[in-house]
Amino acid sequence: MRMKKLVASLLIGAMAVASLAGCGKKDSGDTMVIEVYDVAANYQGTQTGWFGQVVKEKFGLELNIIAPQVAGEAVFQTRASEGNLGDLLILEAGDFADCVEAGLVKDITKEIKDCSNLMTYKDPIDTFNNGLAGNESGAIYGIPTEMTGTSPTSYSQDVIYSSPLLRWDLYSELGCPDIKDLDGLLDVLADMMEKHPTNASGDKAYPFSLWKDWDGGDGMLGIANVVQLTTWYGEKIKGSVILKPDETFTTITDKKASYYKILKFLNDAYQRGLVDPDSGTQDWNAACAKMSAGQVYLMWYSWQVGFWNTQDRLSDGSAFIFIPVEDQKYYADSDSYYGSGRVFAVGSKVDDAKYKKIMEFLDWYASPEGCVYQHSGIKDFNYTVGDDGKFTLKNDNALMDNLPVPEEYGGGGYSDGNNAINQWIVSSYSINPNTGESYASQYWSSYKEATMTQMKKDWAAKFGAAEPVDWMKANNKLVVSPNVSVSLPTDSADIAVVRNQCNTTICDYSWRMIFAADDAEFDKIWDEMTVQLDGFGYDDLVKFDTEKHTIELKAKQAAK
Amino acid sequence: MAEEKKVKPAKVKIKVKTKKSYREFFYILPFIILVAIFAYYPLYGWVYAFFDYKPPFPLSWDKFVGLKWFKSMVENEVKIAKLLEVLRNTFAMSGLSLLFSWFPMFFAIFLNEIKCKPFRKFVQTVTTLPNFISWVLVYAIAFCIFNSTGPVNSVLMNMGLIESPQLFLQSSDHVWFEMWLWLTWKNAGWSAIMYIAAITSIDEELIEAAKVDGATRMQVIRHITIPSILPTYFVLVMLNLANFLTNGMEQYYVFENSFNTNYIQVLDLYVYNLAMQGGYSLSVAISILKSIVSISLLFVTNLISKLTRGEGFI
Repeated sequence: MRMKKLVASLLIGAMAVASLAGCGKKDSGDTMVIEVYDVAANYQGTQTGWFGQVVKEKFGLELNIIAPQVAGEAVFQTRASEGNLGDLLILEAGDFADCVEAGLVKDITKEIKDCSNLMTYKDPIDTFNNGLAGNESGAIYGIPTEMTGTSPTSYSQDVIYSSPLLRWDLYSELGCPDIKDLDGLLDVLADMMEKHPTNASGDKAYPFSLWKDWDGGDGMLGIANVVQLTTWYGEKIKGSVILKPDETFTTITDKKASYYKILKFLNDAYQRGLVDPDSGTQDWNAACAKMSAGQVYLMWYSWQVGFWNTQDRLSDGSAFIFIPVEDQKYYADSDSYYGSGRVFAVGSKVDDAKYKKIMEFLDWYASPEGCVYQHSGIKDFNYTVGDDGKFTLKNDNALMDNLPVPEEYGGGGYSDGNNAINQWIVSSYSINPNTGESYASQYWSSYKEATMTQMKKDWAAKFGAAEPVDWMKANNKLVVSPNVSVSLPTDSADIAVVRNQCNTTICDYSWRMIFAADDAEFDKIWDEMTVQLDGFGYDDLVKFDTEKHTIELKAKQAAK
Repeated sequence: MAEEKKVKPAKVKIKVKTKKSYREFFYILPFIILVAIFAYYPLYGWVYAFFDYKPPFPLSWDKFVGLKWFKSMVENEVKIAKLLEVLRNTFAMSGLSLLFSWFPMFFAIFLNEIKCKPFRKFVQTVTTLPNFISWVLVYAIAFCIFNSTGPVNSVLMNMGLIESPQLFLQSSDHVWFEMWLWLTWKNAGWSAIMYIAAITSIDEELIEAAKVDGATRMQVIRHITIPSILPTYFVLVMLNLANFLTNGMEQYYVFENSFNTNYIQVLDLYVYNLAMQGGYSLSVAISILKSIVSISLLFVTNLISKLTRGEGFI
């Protein structure tokens, strides 16, 4: 009997312990653990590897990253209802404004004054915070991301975010034909596919390989692959509405606007057999593997070429590069002088010791030294410093191939140990005061010299410009939208539901339209879609989005 | 005095009894607490259905809207059609599982008839293993096998049966049946365990007596094995009936795409899709409806069971 009692009480004790385990986490040794609630992170857990070592050595900090992209959006709701999102916060600007109102964000007005590096960006930081609703006193709560220190209307990059990118070897094999419009582009792609139905290892290749993972992302309704391509005609999708080059708004469901046009373009491509049949069911990883294997002939994101272009391919001419289409005019957001739409902030529940460390960390994060770590990497591993103080790239495949980092810098793979915060206060193409060149390696004079290959020379000779953006500017093909800092209203509970259901509807029908067998079926699905959308309250959403983005448009007009 | 004497033992008895029942109550207390925490406390979340909830603001800041979200579900034809479509898919797929619920039972019976023990164990292990593979991996396997350049399409094309690759995963034809097949592939071995246990508990003497009487193997199965494990079958079916609307969402979540969503989106998946993109209040409202329907279903089956078999299970 006694034995039984003992066992029973032990079991109950064990249960109690088990249920409480994991509630507390002690700081190990001298390092202080800070929780980073980070909407930009693709990784959840403790920052490890070389960047972890940098932060630990400089500040004695360990970053415990909480990533809604990994844990699911619900983590925002649960943490917000606890009243503590984390110690260091990286939020979308809209949610940030709500969090300030809900008392989840600390007022950093006093302490930020002592941060000399952050104060370099005083103008955009002040402008951003003054724009917060109900912040008449001008208190400072947040620090915008990717500030450039240039001006709100300039455009400093060589390539824009989205433009048609073709393989130079395949394009020149066809005799570099001029491309008039989207049909002309399809003709060129069809010829490429006819000449090269497979990649070098014999796997089937297609001009288009699509994926669905980012549909409805970045505050835009509809398929991400279509949404991105609408910028080729100077239009920009904002939620359910499209901002046209003449500065008026129209709805996505406007048959004369670019969403319909691009969707039809992809359907034409499908009807001509140019779309990878797995496009509707594969995920980003599968699509990505095809890009790296040379099974895709058209790319459209500026960063997408990173999966194919290497120094060798730039030399042998098989790299992707921008090829203009005559009737297009490209939309681009200007330098993010006032920030790129996200915000760094401090949680309202931090204690004084942590708060002090976080502010020190943030100031360093915006300093030239911090930026070099974030954008250029480790000295003598990612770059070497010449006699003139300028950088030369080393191990350019460190990120792509996850190269092993020497033990003295923290060991592990380079990509594994890379900065998992994945968001920067200072943009990579702003100028490093110590070198006079930008932080990003592709703008270094040493890099430009090394990549001045025959392909680049041929391209420049044909189009009469050194870089794509130079060509666009010279030919009046670039619509630059000024960067502004305005606080836009977030969705009410009603609008959130309407947006959600309309987005799902648009995405589902769009995919079916891309795979429509003929034009009649395409239009039939389009009409079905509009009926469904009406039922889900689409008109309310368009009204809300038009009003919301008119605020932004007015600010943009004022900035010009 | 005499009276006192009479009363005293009774009092003691009651005291002993109360003490005993207190002690016995403490035995089940941990489980009551567990149920309270994990089954009843979450019901508090139902309040979200009656507010215009918008994170990060606490509920106390939000507007009370009464039955607005319930009404909005059936506001117009498109929304009703959507709800009906989701319900249809749920009923179809649960119905299909129910219709074929005898499958694991017969699988167990036939498995039990395999006389070569190593082979029997091998089959059992192989069929049980898929139960431990997550649905995400199952989809990865499905994608590898059925994509446009996968083995199935390659074989069919090499044999000249089809000219261009078939997009199996993208087709909305036979989705319900395909989903049932995947589910059965994953679960059959696991569900059979219960029946195998039931079969082992059949009295050996019964079977031997039957054999002495000249019963064939099939006759033993028909007249002894099946009747003996039928009660187990009924209990499991009824438990499944209460879960009729809860057919899980992982499987449908991984197999869902824009082309088959109209046939694959079940209630749980619909609630999840809504909630994950900001429609918290509406999705809570829908899940409340689901709970109510589930409870009604449970009582109805219990009633039917009482009427037909003479005994209920609640």
